[in-house]
Amino acid sequence: MAEVSFQGKTFEVDEDGFLLRFDEWCPEWVEYVKESEGIAEITEDHQKIIDFLQDYYRKNGIAPMVRILSKNTGFKLKQVYELFPSGPGKGACKMAGLPKPTGCV
Amino acid sequence: MAFISSGYNPEKPMEGRITDIGPQHYAQFYPPVIARNKGKWLYHEIIEPGVLVHVAESGEKVYTVRVGAARLMSITHIREICEIADKHCGGHLRFTTRNNVEFMVETEEAMKALRDDLASRKFDGGSKKFPVGGTGAGISNIVHTQGWVHCHTPATDASGPVKAIMDEVFEDFQSMRLPAPVRISLACCINMCGAVHCSDIGVVGIHRKPPMIDHAWTDQLCEIPLAVASCPTAAVRPTKVELDGKKVNSIAIKNERCMYCGNCYTMCPALPISDGEGDGCVIMVGGKVSNRISMPKFSKVVVAYIPNEAPRWPTLTNTIKHIIEVYSENAMKYERLGDWAERIGWERFFQLTGLEFTHHLIDDFRDPAYYTWRQSTQFKF
Repeated sequence: MAEVSFQGKTFEVDEDGFLLRFDEWCPEWVEYVKESEGIAEITEDHQKIIDFLQDYYRKNGIAPMVRILSKNTGFKLKQVYELFPSGPGKGACKMAGLPKPTGCV
Repeated sequence: MAFISSGYNPEKPMEGRITDIGPQHYAQFYPPVIARNKGKWLYHEIIEPGVLVHVAESGEKVYTVRVGAARLMSITHIREICEIADKHCGGHLRFTTRNNVEFMVETEEAMKALRDDLASRKFDGGSKKFPVGGTGAGISNIVHTQGWVHCHTPATDASGPVKAIMDEVFEDFQSMRLPAPVRISLACCINMCGAVHCSDIGVVGIHRKPPMIDHAWTDQLCEIPLAVASCPTAAVRPTKVELDGKKVNSIAIKNERCMYCGNCYTMCPALPISDGEGDGCVIMVGGKVSNRISMPKFSKVVVAYIPNEAPRWPTLTNTIKHIIEVYSENAMKYERLGDWAERIGWERFFQLTGLEFTHHLIDDFRDPAYYTWRQSTQFKF
């Protein structure tokens, strides 16, 4: 397993760049990931999605379905893609520190 | 090799980005004779195994030569296919839904030259590059999956067994002696990507042991509720375990409820299940998708386990060959394997093929299992 260092913090990540442990998430992680996810600046809208994903994960132990993400944040899927070009799974969940999406993806 | 940019700018990934253009329109690649006669075909004939002719209202003919393909192929091989298409077919060709390749020409002389050229090409090891066949009441290509080439959940390989089976039944690819077409499909786990659940003969990779549980990582790598909900028999439940003096959230599996489907591993990387000795194949028979005479059918499990015997899977290939032989000797014309087995009764199918009937074959999955039992006195001794 690879380790990356950024602004004095180290993160354990897998080959796709997902955090191995949700607990290791910190605001620096978002700063570190945003470039590889094609995001210039973290706006309030980005933060809103990240916060919702984290709250939902802490509470339910799973990532929300896309429809639930849309309904709660008020962002249509198209807007989610505008914010996170790689999409809600590879983009937003990775930045929020959630486990890598599984199944037939 | 040094890095060569395609023009994509990683600094500005969305700049100049083209999306949602879909596939090319198929009409762009029609051979001229197809484009001219589209929707105006009168009839067709199978001239010989692997060679078809379609006749249009205008009187124009198109001859099609179908050749087998390994499905998994190199660009070198595709270039050779293109070279043949350039030489004989004006640069046109097509792939079938069973991953055979079809070359089309307009005259009988051109067809003969094409057919003989195709039949003469071989790999260095001696196998035919473009065996002509796959038409009519024979055995066409095997619809198959990724296996050990690329997937992470397989219980068997795909390309390997498919090569072994096609070698065994090769004569039936190049002839049309069977009562009806026999479709063989292979899937390397019970996800059943492809067509095994609806083929005359289906081969599916299965496990025979419950998954291992990597407690150190379950709560980190997995969304535990997903793993719980992925289990068709509800054998998976969340639990806490003590690991190096620490309590961690993890997963517990009731082994006596687990039937080793591996769904939970699909959802959770901390539940690996594959096992060299445990894994193997089941054989299913009697499925079909067409509506001809009888309705479409699911295939049924008739052999509960055959071990993996890489690289040639002899037990598997011999069993399949044997089923095909018994079917072809006994079934009536136009009768698909499933139609035949249902007509004579499955007890006769087992008797004729000599396959062992084990308790594994009796359905025990939920209420519908009951309908697969015999609620009748009608059976043969």
